[in-house]
Amino acid sequence: MRHEILDAPNFALLKLRFDGAGEQAVAESGALVAKSAAVTVQTSLRGGLIAAAKRSVLGGESLFQNTYTAGAAGDELWLAPAAEGDLKGRVLSAGESFFLQSGAYLAHHGPELVVDTRWGGVRGFFGGLGLFLLRISGPGTVFYGSYGALHEVEVGPGGYTADTGHVVAFTEGLEYRVRPFGGAKGLFFSGEGLVCDFSGRGSVFLQTRSPASLASFLHPYRPVKARGSSE
Amino acid sequence: MQFELRYQPAHTLAIVHLSPGEAIRAEASSMISMTSGLAVSTDGPLARGRGGLLRGMGRAMLGGESFFTNTFTAVGGAGHVTLAPALCGDLLVHDVRPGEDLLIQGSSYVAAPDTVTLDTQWQGMKGFFSGESLFFLRATGDGPVLLNAFGAIQTIDLDGELIVDTGHLVAFTSGIQYRVTTASPGLIASWLSGEGFVLSVTGKGRLYLQTRNPSEYGVAVGSSLPPREA
Repeated sequence: MRHEILDAPNFALLKLRFDGAGEQAVAESGALVAKSAAVTVQTSLRGGLIAAAKRSVLGGESLFQNTYTAGAAGDELWLAPAAEGDLKGRVLSAGESFFLQSGAYLAHHGPELVVDTRWGGVRGFFGGLGLFLLRISGPGTVFYGSYGALHEVEVGPGGYTADTGHVVAFTEGLEYRVRPFGGAKGLFFSGEGLVCDFSGRGSVFLQTRSPASLASFLHPYRPVKARGSSE
Repeated sequence: MQFELRYQPAHTLAIVHLSPGEAIRAEASSMISMTSGLAVSTDGPLARGRGGLLRGMGRAMLGGESFFTNTFTAVGGAGHVTLAPALCGDLLVHDVRPGEDLLIQGSSYVAAPDTVTLDTQWQGMKGFFSGESLFFLRATGDGPVLLNAFGAIQTIDLDGELIVDTGHLVAFTSGIQYRVTTASPGLIASWLSGEGFVLSVTGKGRLYLQTRNPSEYGVAVGSSLPPREA
């Protein structure tokens, strides 16, 4: 399978080209832009109901995934994430892992690639601001999207700290710890919420905008519910 | 202190490189990431050296600035902090010099070092009638100021007069005077035009405009969202 990323970085589009009949790619439901007519689609709860529900509830990933199967060599498939922004592919060798923030997953190929939920945080305590991670294990290629640009940082010996809402992905070999920014005072007053401290060796991928910040901006502009309304 | 702007103009990220001992003060919630060695302190309205409670509250409520700011200091070695606003758009760095202040529309301010002082510029009643928050932060001193724009930035070197919509105004240098006026002659025509009150800016200096208006965007998108509790 060959892949190409078009229209980056603001409205990135993934174009896959199959090498032969029967070759497959898996994508989050809703990601389809276009496909060759001979490509067939099968919708499934991947890994069965429990695994799918766990991925969906904990990982923020969609409950259903679509498997696209090529009818012939040269068949094409175009996929796009929901938010405006960039997308990248990560080629994983056998046994290599990659961690993706909930919702950043777009698609993958490679029959042996494993997508597993790994609960990364402190959600119960801090009200949903924790870091929800999918652990992707190779061999195979995974594609992931960002809101805004994707900014890669190599973690140095001094460590690196990032706002959890902006962490999209990171490579194996990094240790991480989620904490309130600036201590208890910081959590309530700094406006930053939770941050993730990374140590070790590897790369962190950040998105330069956050969907939650956009939602906070728009919230005051929502119409106000009428008094006594049953809705 | 060096500002590096990346991914311009749609989703710009500012990387502020700090040499040992340097510090940058940034709006609450504008931090995306930082090298772990930076010392962080959160200043509220009670913080010393920022004018005390009333002036801090004044800045926050009138200026559209956040109530709290975070100061990032490079202790030990060099480091960096990355900053970005909530909405899509560009960032710019303007150097404030002694004798030439910068007036900043409140929500456009992102960060500045301690060599730059920020104060709320009270607009009096003329601001009250403009319908949009017409309170400016006045940046004085000597150093860079990081500003954000919703959309792209138009830089205008003004020598004369220009009529500007308040929602598109980012900042202007202190050689420019302004007054509130109506977009069309007469109050009713002005209201019907959808432009309401606008600013007439005159003089010689630099003016920064943003190509989108945040409150127009908020109305356009927010009105189609489900109602919220009062």
